[in-house]
Amino acid sequence: MAQATVDTRGSRRSPLEMVVDRIWRFFCSVRAAVVEIIILAVLVLLGTLRGSDAPQWLADAIPATQPAVDWLYDWDVFHSLPLMLILGVLCVAIVVCTLNRVPGIWKTIVDPTIRTNRSFLENAELSAAYQSAAAPAAAVGELSESLQKHRYRVLHEERGADIHLYADKNRYAKLGTFPFHLALILILLGGIVGARYGFREMTFVVPEGSVREVGHGTGLSVELIQFIDSWREEGIPSEYRSDLVIWKNGEKVKEGTITVNNPISYDNVTFYQSSYGQAAAFRITDTDGNLLFDDSIPLGQYTAVNNPDAPAGLQQLPQIGSQLNVIGQDQDPQNAPELDDLQLENGQMFLQLRQTADDGSVEILTGVVDPGETIQLGSVNIEYLREKRFTLMQVASNPGIPIFFAASFLLVAGLAVTFYFPHRRIRGIIGPGSDQTGSRVLMAPLARWDWSGQRDFRRIIERIETESRIAVTINERPREHAASRSESAADASE
Amino acid sequence: MESLVKLSFYCFAAGSIAVAASWVSYVLFTIGRVRLRQAELQTSAGTTVRASKAEFAPGWTSAGRFGSMMAWFGVVMMGLSVIFRTAASHRGPYSNMYEFSLAFVFVLLLIYLLFERFYEVKQLGVIVLTIAGAMCLYIWSLPSYMREVDALNPALQNRPLMTVHVSSAILAYATFAVSFAAAILYLIQVRKNVSWLPSADMLDDIGYRAVTVGFPLLALVLILGSVWAHEAWGAYWSWDPKETAALFTWLVYGVYLHTRTLRGWRGERSAYVLLFGFAAVVFTYYGNYFFGGMHAYGGVN
Ligand code: HEM
Repeated sequence: MAQATVDTRGSRRSPLEMVVDRIWRFFCSVRAAVVEIIILAVLVLLGTLRGSDAPQWLADAIPATQPAVDWLYDWDVFHSLPLMLILGVLCVAIVVCTLNRVPGIWKTIVDPTIRTNRSFLENAELSAAYQSAAAPAAAVGELSESLQKHRYRVLHEERGADIHLYADKNRYAKLGTFPFHLALILILLGGIVGARYGFREMTFVVPEGSVREVGHGTGLSVELIQFIDSWREEGIPSEYRSDLVIWKNGEKVKEGTITVNNPISYDNVTFYQSSYGQAAAFRITDTDGNLLFDDSIPLGQYTAVNNPDAPAGLQQLPQIGSQLNVIGQDQDPQNAPELDDLQLENGQMFLQLRQTADDGSVEILTGVVDPGETIQLGSVNIEYLREKRFTLMQVASNPGIPIFFAASFLLVAGLAVTFYFPHRRIRGIIGPGSDQTGSRVLMAPLARWDWSGQRDFRRIIERIETESRIAVTINERPREHAASRSESAADASE
Repeated sequence: MESLVKLSFYCFAAGSIAVAASWVSYVLFTIGRVRLRQAELQTSAGTTVRASKAEFAPGWTSAGRFGSMMAWFGVVMMGLSVIFRTAASHRGPYSNMYEFSLAFVFVLLLIYLLFERFYEVKQLGVIVLTIAGAMCLYIWSLPSYMREVDALNPALQNRPLMTVHVSSAILAYATFAVSFAAAILYLIQVRKNVSWLPSADMLDDIGYRAVTVGFPLLALVLILGSVWAHEAWGAYWSWDPKETAALFTWLVYGVYLHTRTLRGWRGERSAYVLLFGFAAVVFTYYGNYFFGGMHAYGGVN
């Protein structure tokens, strides 16, 4: 039957139209959506398991699975093509499905079909019937009034001797699924915008008193005014903070303090407190008195080969083709500092100047300085001003954030509207009474499979019974016998 | 301070006893309604056939009432336990599995009892109280140092955000537990047509209603979790296993919501999706035990 219908229609349509129609219907199909979401869920599950020890447990228990487990650990699911593809398909499906459904739903809201048929009402899972002493028109008026008290909109239409009635409430809530589904796309869009147009610097180091450029075309620089930490008795840092000044193109644009969890932002660029460490301030000049360097070198970012636990740092001096390595005292008592090669005393710095000559040969000059002391290594004078601290920040810019927030709002609000304001509908026919006096009312909720919808209907009927003092007969039919086709015929959008 | 922590623990102990008593009562209430009637039938061939038939018996309603009473008492005790602990630590229940689970039992009982009131059925209690009881046993099995209130990793210190994030998670998981209970009874009901269980349609509705609460809440958990990751780590979404496990769970319930609109999937198959969804919840809940990553400091590693 269905095949024949498609064929006759197909003969009047071009193959291209048919293909487009097929694809369109695929994307509209909730059944296909279920499969797509399941595929996405499976990929997410695989990615999750990959981040756990569970697959290895499996491989330990069943050695034959080891290759599959290794393959899983190797596969970066969350950045893989299949994941991107399924997300793409879901987005297209949501857009197509939305376009497909909006007109029908809009019609249900502004111009629903009022007409129904008796056999649908009589065969509904739940229906109610009563006799009214009033004539049909007056009975409709009374019934409408009762339904309106329950916040229902009531529409009716005369059909011969009968009056058909349609009542619904929360009709606009039917639109809630659109913002919700579109929010899913927006969240992905926010992620893409963030990944494409944002940046994230994991280790952005600024020593106290120094200024560092953020780069990435932002024109921003950050100055660390001071770094302050407080410690608890057990030696765990309880809090630390950095007082920052942000400069844009040489102008001071913002001042602020960051702590863990309390970043500051300027121009979509956010600065997060992440860690800190020791730095050493140096002033380096060549023998002619030209200034080569006057800033702090953060320590602890590198390790010295001979003394891996000591804080070390390095600074390029491009003017003279050299690199200055700085190594501080190892303060971890468990490392038995007296065994350290360097034998530094408190506050002293070990310096190593690596000068690369034009022929590629490297000359290494070393020395130890105290704070406030100047040392000459080869052709440079190095003054170790004092010990300082640096702050380690993360700097991130994510232009997707506003999109993310808007999407989150739409998502939760759309869900709440969809779930907590269910669209309830009642259909009815009010005809003349059997003995030509009064009228006979027959009505049913559109609430197949819907226990809550049926309960709401029963409550309305109870109210009508007590308020109008009439006896209403409730008819219940098991679902197997309740006609489903007439229901969908009565309401195309069902 | 120290005494508040002790007080909290004593309330939890009292609550556990109430949960145990409530569980026994709900079991008696439900099982007590089933009377097996055995009959021996003589066939024409002279052999004896023994037939047994489960019958509805109206007794033991008082056990059901006592079960609810005990569950309410359990809610009060668990609630006090959470309150005292919050008073001692000045933060929400998110420092370790002990606190989190304690709050979970409290919220689970509360949500369940609200459903019990709303739908006026008690049979779900058998399953929900089994879950609550198992959680209590789990809490008792946790090492006692977790009962102490101690300092928190600075990354966890964003209080309002963390509190809402974790509270939403607890609420979501609790409602999913209720929908799990409804799905089990639903599956029993459609197969065996048991007169003493609520109607299949009502059970289906309970499962759905619970998900309509849990699903948006879990969405909120994911959103707030990523906002908080943004504050603490500078990245909204870092594909951390605990995050993706929650996303997986959310997607499973997304599948459930769609299956309810499909002929052929609605009903029994949707109920299976609910069972699967709850398995995903359990997986996410205990994820700390086998995930590395940022959420692993919950005190169990
Ligand atoms: C392939 C893409 C998708 C399509 C075509 C689609 C389609 C639909 C349709 C047609 C409905 C309305 C059902 C009704 O009102 O009777 C719906 C509802 C819903 N969808 Fe989707 N959906 C898609 C993806 C998703 C995803 C990824 C999620 C999230 C996990 C989701 C969650 C929901 C929810 C929560 C509802 C509301 C269910 C209710 O009203 O009870 N959808 N979807």
